[in-house]
Amino acid sequence: MESATLYSPAFETCLVLAFFLPLLSFILSLTIQEQYAWIVSLSAPVLLLISTVSAYYVGIQVWDNDPYHIQYTWFSVSSTTVHIGMLVDNLAALMLIVVTFVSFLVHLYSLGYMAGDSATRRYFAMLGLFTFAMLGIVLSDSVLLIFIFWELVGFSSYMLIGHWQHKPEAAAASRKAFVLNRIGDAGFMVGLMILWANTGTFSLVELASITNISSWNTIASLCLFCGVIGKSAQFPLLTWLPDAMEGPTPVSALIHAATMVAAGVFLLARVDFLFSPEALLVLVIIGITTSVMAALAALVQTDIKKILAYSTISQLGLMVTACGAGAPEVGMMHLFTHAFFKACLFLCAGSVIHVLHRAQHQQHVHFDVQDVRNLGGLRKKLPFTFLATTVSGAALAGIPFFSGFVSKEAIFTALYEWKGDSFSLRWIIFGLAFIVSFLTVLYIVRLIALVFLGQERATQQLSIEEPPIIMRAPMALLAFGSLWFIVSWNPFAFNGWLMPEAEGHSLFLTIFSIAWVASALVASFFLYRNNILITAEFLRQSFYLNYLYERLVGRPVVALAVLTEKADRKWIDGFLHTTAYAQILTAHIFAWFDRAIIDGSVNGTAYTVRLIGSLTRSFQGGKIQFYVFIAVFALIIFLISSLI
Amino acid sequence: MLPVTHLLYLGAIVFAAGLMMVITKRNAIMVLLGIELMLNAANINLVAFNYQHAHNLDGQLFSLFVIIVAVCETAVGLAIVLRVYQEYQRVVPDQIDELKD
Repeated sequence: MESATLYSPAFETCLVLAFFLPLLSFILSLTIQEQYAWIVSLSAPVLLLISTVSAYYVGIQVWDNDPYHIQYTWFSVSSTTVHIGMLVDNLAALMLIVVTFVSFLVHLYSLGYMAGDSATRRYFAMLGLFTFAMLGIVLSDSVLLIFIFWELVGFSSYMLIGHWQHKPEAAAASRKAFVLNRIGDAGFMVGLMILWANTGTFSLVELASITNISSWNTIASLCLFCGVIGKSAQFPLLTWLPDAMEGPTPVSALIHAATMVAAGVFLLARVDFLFSPEALLVLVIIGITTSVMAALAALVQTDIKKILAYSTISQLGLMVTACGAGAPEVGMMHLFTHAFFKACLFLCAGSVIHVLHRAQHQQHVHFDVQDVRNLGGLRKKLPFTFLATTVSGAALAGIPFFSGFVSKEAIFTALYEWKGDSFSLRWIIFGLAFIVSFLTVLYIVRLIALVFLGQERATQQLSIEEPPIIMRAPMALLAFGSLWFIVSWNPFAFNGWLMPEAEGHSLFLTIFSIAWVASALVASFFLYRNNILITAEFLRQSFYLNYLYERLVGRPVVALAVLTEKADRKWIDGFLHTTAYAQILTAHIFAWFDRAIIDGSVNGTAYTVRLIGSLTRSFQGGKIQFYVFIAVFALIIFLISSLI
Repeated sequence: MLPVTHLLYLGAIVFAAGLMMVITKRNAIMVLLGIELMLNAANINLVAFNYQHAHNLDGQLFSLFVIIVAVCETAVGLAIVLRVYQEYQRVVPDQIDELKD
């Protein structure tokens, strides 16, 4: 609160603008009438542009300054008060800029990519909500608020992955993403409860000041890490991310670069003070396992977007490893560089898919445009996309003069220092990180070679032209951001302007990793020159994880559901039906009793009375002589009876 | 001397005939006639019992008195019958039933 005076009203205005304009875009897109849908495609990118500029201003102001912290009371229950607030420090400022910038570019790109889509309003609304939720995670000052926005991110990603809801695969993928995320979030929630029970606060600042680390800390931090595993697609829950490729490609770019999966790594960096050494070891092991598995799986995928998806999982694994190795700032640095080049790669893939779809549509040819085995030799027809892909691919591979090299260098350095001098498990993890780096080069070269190099395969007859400028501009900007200077002016040293305090840069490691990447490049060129393609069903199915889940969880759950359904039908329904029948039967008996006995007795009385009445009435028929006759008759009877 | 039972038989037969007329005749005048017969049957009985006790004349006087009353009654009855005939143009007792329920 005391540092709030440091910042001008202009700063606060910009912060509010950066945070709430995506929300405004969301509300606007949903409230506008269908016939004015074109306003949405104008307003959404403009709002995001303003948000980006404001975010940039905020970032500049906060950078290397005191953190901006503002707090309000949300609600209080007896003596307990829960606060909400914003905390903008270096970490948040960096993410703020990345999220708004990538989101703006994705909005721009979507104008071209989603042109002609029937549900653009919903699409842009959800993009806005997605961005807003991610900004919420970034700016929140309490773990509880982070959790709320975390769930919002999950919801909006569900909506976006399932945007083409008429496609059953897309619907299934969005459901899968949602369910797997819920599994992780259950852990997150338990972690929150443990935190609250032990400290009585959710505030990040207060939590950071609690020093006595005890055993609950490990458990709480591991529970929070469960949420990260779900959101950042780490080892046990990684299968949703490749399936999420069913969504529109710009959404994939957003999910992979800035909003969804980045949230997990961001959370690790945000609460890194909570993690005990044991918890950190778990992080490293999970991270490196994910990384190696996903890199191997990426090597054999045939779907262009799935290659990139597994690549993202692998890179996220590296970031988690870095966080686990006690260097969250290095993990964040890789997240930062990764955001640019992975977004660019996805937009390039989207560009290939977009132009091929359009060409197919015009010439009535049909083949799977996402299958790399159908592509090839596109460098002549799509020179710009080829260039952008190569630049961002080089950054992913970690080639010198590109941003990926610098951030990977930082991760290697962190791991190098962390592994210690005597041989232990840590050395193996350090080695595995290098293997991941090697595999990264292999799969990205394979992707570029299969799509852009060699001879054209299925695309020979198609006349293809580059996508419109509105799609090329974001690609160009992101490719530009894949160069080394976004991290440091010195292309070989990561402790540049982004992270001046990082230390321990070793010349030996730099030279070794350059040699390592070079050898990987040589190996991959050798492989693809001779057309040696690795095909392993085991890897293509990503270690049969899906199959395993299907077998271990899916089928028992379905079987249980069938069983309970049967029990429901047989026992509960049966019981209910029997009761109902019994009631109806009783009702019938009562109705009969009512009709026959009660009504019958009343009617019977009335009938008897009427009978007697009509009998006595019949004597008085107005016939005088009959009266006389009756009187005489009665007299005679009387006389006879008196005589007897 | 005639036994008194013969006279009583005669009275009973006349009374039965009068009652029969009262019950069965479809003309009010004939009904009145039936009543006269029944009264006369009673007179026969009165005279017959007086015949047993010749020194007394109560029975004969009483029967004369009954004859006078019967004349009056017949006059009133005929007047009613006439009025009824003027009102309804008929004198069948069964058809005059306005007082029935």
